[in-house]
Amino acid sequence: MIELFHVTKRYPGGQIGLSDITLGIARGQMCFLTGASGAGKSTFLKMIYREEVPSAGQILVNGRNLAALPAKKIPYLRRTIGVVFQEFRLIARKTVFENVSYLPKVLGMDAARQRRLSYETLRKVGLAHRINAFPLSLSGGERQRVAIARALINEPEILLADEPTGNLDPSLSEEILQLLLEVNLRGTTVIVATHDRALIERVGHRVLTLDHGRLAQDQELAPGVVPSMAGRMVTASDETPVSGTGRDAGSKAIVEEHR
Amino acid sequence: MSFGRAISYFVREALVGLVRGWKTGLLAVITIALSLFLAGVFLLVAENLRALVAAWRAESRIMVYLSPQASEADLVRIQTLIEAVPWVRSARAVSADEAGARFLAAFPSMADLLEGWDRSPLPTSLAVEADWSLAGTDGVGLATQAWRQDAAVASIDDDRDWLAQLETIAVVLRGLATLVGGVLIITAVFTIASVIRLAAHQHRDEIAVLRLVGATEFFIRGPFYAEGMIQGVLGAVVALAALATSFVLLRQRFGDGLLGRLVAGRFLSPGVIAGLVLLGAVAGLVGAVVSLGRERVDGMRAAAGWGPAE
Repeated sequence: MIELFHVTKRYPGGQIGLSDITLGIARGQMCFLTGASGAGKSTFLKMIYREEVPSAGQILVNGRNLAALPAKKIPYLRRTIGVVFQEFRLIARKTVFENVSYLPKVLGMDAARQRRLSYETLRKVGLAHRINAFPLSLSGGERQRVAIARALINEPEILLADEPTGNLDPSLSEEILQLLLEVNLRGTTVIVATHDRALIERVGHRVLTLDHGRLAQDQELAPGVVPSMAGRMVTASDETPVSGTGRDAGSKAIVEEHR
Repeated sequence: MSFGRAISYFVREALVGLVRGWKTGLLAVITIALSLFLAGVFLLVAENLRALVAAWRAESRIMVYLSPQASEADLVRIQTLIEAVPWVRSARAVSADEAGARFLAAFPSMADLLEGWDRSPLPTSLAVEADWSLAGTDGVGLATQAWRQDAAVASIDDDRDWLAQLETIAVVLRGLATLVGGVLIITAVFTIASVIRLAAHQHRDEIAVLRLVGATEFFIRGPFYAEGMIQGVLGAVVALAALATSFVLLRQRFGDGLLGRLVAGRFLSPGVIAGLVLLGAVAGLVGAVVSLGRERVDGMRAAAGWGPAE
């Protein structure tokens, strides 16, 4: 579904964003992208939703070469990709409903259908009761859930999350992580950029480690020590390479444990 | 999204934007209203002057003044000569006494000019009325040139000479309307562009979200284009309302006098009114298009935190 061939991104001034990355991410896979600040995580994600174009190499998303994608086709690509950010990027002067219903509006849905779809999506993230609230009246976790609802409203094939728990305390981070795992279980390819190594180790799945723009490591981790929502320790495992895609026991175990 | 639904969405969003940013929007409306008002004033005066000249031209005549030595026989001979021209309707003799009486009626305060003379100092003349549409410009010129050759003719005064000058003034006024209106419209376009740019800057976070979820450029820019057009149309409506009010007040003040007929003879034609409204709308649209150039929107994206990555 997502394939990168020798992708390099050089910014004006010579700064390297990504350097010769070649990898593939299968449909429905859950994948963590990690590395220190400046390693290229955000650049990697921006390449996938065509906010950036590679200086060299090719990126294929569902067989489409993004480097050759005409500008007028970019909106149609983005309708198949949901994106979530650390700082939520909600519009403070708009209600939760209005924040979530941008894409239905763009797609020309009538008001009743927009409302219905927004309600359904908010229900999935547990926020249907806050549909008329304004973002500033929500907690950090709730705001991130609204952002996730906005990203999911069109049932995208890919969900990209750039440090989605970066502004949240540990318990809220767990909530958001569980939500992302549930999204992945429903078949969506999920790529989460995070520098929170502990969070990755608790969950497992495929982990791509970037270092100064280079792919330093590509490994499958079994779920590690997973604290429950109440803080109970579940299992223990060191970084152990495993085979298979991310839609395995790892995410199911985490979700079940959190239920 | 269908085109009709998109337009409805654009107008709705534009109206919401106008209400939210009414102060800056008002500035744009006032600027364009001022531009169109001044252009409208010039057009109004030019149009009324043109109508006035046309009416005067229909009533215009040529005065053929005879020399003091001309006899009664000369008068009859010249009158016959003039009336022989096909497009001349009549050549009526105006005696020196009748001319004096007319002068006194028109300029009573200058009566002393006629006092102390043995006889009226004003010459005998022939007032020539004609069907000017049959005469043609060259025809009149040739005829008056031939009449001037007669020794009994002292001078010929063609009303149409100064009417032509008034027509030139009307053309100049129309040109001024275009020039002043054009310059002011350009100013208004840039004002609208600034206002729209400000509105877009205020909505840069929303624009960034729209881009993220997959809105097309048309969808993102449409509300701003609609906002510019609405501002332009509102400006034109305000300008026309001010023009109409001024017109009514001037008409009440000056009535059917020369000044009244010049500035408030008749209002702008429906075509010119529609043209001014269209001009306002186009100015607003151009302002919005200018303000939302590609590089500026990309700049807004960067300002909203979508710039180069880590």
